[in-house]
Amino acid sequence: MNRVKTTQSKTGEIIAYSEGAIRNNISAVEYCRTSMAAISGCAAGILGLSGTLGFLFYFLSVFVLWILVLVKSGTQWRKFFINRRNLLTNQFMGGLCTYVLFWTFLYGMVHVY
Amino acid sequence: MTELLIDPDIRVWVFLPIVLITFLVGIVRHYVSILISTQKKAEITQIQDSQAMIRARLLRENGKYLSAQSFSMRKNYFNNEETGYFKTQKRAPVAQNSSAMLTDMVKGNFINVLPMVVIGGWINWMFSGFVTTKVPFPLTLRFKPMLQRGVELASLDAAWVSSASWYFLNVFGLRSIYTLVLGENNHADQTQAQADAMTGAAMTMPQDPKAAFKAEWEALEITEYHNALKNIDADMLAIASAPAASS
Repeated sequence: MNRVKTTQSKTGEIIAYSEGAIRNNISAVEYCRTSMAAISGCAAGILGLSGTLGFLFYFLSVFVLWILVLVKSGTQWRKFFINRRNLLTNQFMGGLCTYVLFWTFLYGMVHVY
Repeated sequence: MTELLIDPDIRVWVFLPIVLITFLVGIVRHYVSILISTQKKAEITQIQDSQAMIRARLLRENGKYLSAQSFSMRKNYFNNEETGYFKTQKRAPVAQNSSAMLTDMVKGNFINVLPMVVIGGWINWMFSGFVTTKVPFPLTLRFKPMLQRGVELASLDAAWVSSASWYFLNVFGLRSIYTLVLGENNHADQTQAQADAMTGAAMTMPQDPKAAFKAEWEALEITEYHNALKNIDADMLAIASAPAASS
């Protein structure tokens, strides 16, 4: 059974989304987000960022990934995602946990000993 | 305060092995979970009752699109006092101490709880008393009991992490990495959310089918018929005539 969710756009017409396709797209974005958090955590650790600079680096990486996803989907982003803002703010704290772990790990490997 | 000077061998023999051990234990737990989990065999009456419950719920939610006779006929099929489905089906309650449920519970405990206790105890014994790394941002004293378990130094800065606490940070931090490495359906993540597919809903049946039937019977009994398509012909004619009037 393929369930369909619908939203109402600004012009009043109703758009139907396939539930499975939306879930698959969000899953792909989650994969990119976790990879980006791990890679940027490694970069921050090796660079030796500490304190506020490290957290700003995380915000920068999240924003850059958001820009890349929107550039990839182009002007037809409405075909793939329902909301652009949710794409930026979803799973923010989960990515932060992964980022802090890799940041601490690589910082310890390079700069503490 | 002054920086600590730590033996560089701690990096190779304490800090890095804890990360590798935590990660590989998660991988092993995934494959052991795959090997040990049997195919959950659902009985045919269980699937039948679940499908009937789903049909009754769909009738309650979408009955307004049917005609009055169709709605009454379906409601009578489920709720009739002599011949209704919810009245004639006699189901024994599922035993609370059935061997299948007990085996699943023991398997779940064996996979989830036992490795954390065993590996945590072994790491506490093997790597006791080491200061492994420093968190690269300042922390208040409230984090000191959490991050320096096993090392009782009052003058130590709160950002330093002991070996036991580093193990716990890895256990909770590597949770999303397992999704990267093992794919979507990994069992290493202990907080995995259950899929809410329709076939999954048909597999699960509440413990007491008799109580579920009674609740569904009552809900369907009080549902009144509202025709959503009552004046549909007049509405369509109004929509069709509106652009002609505007042009």
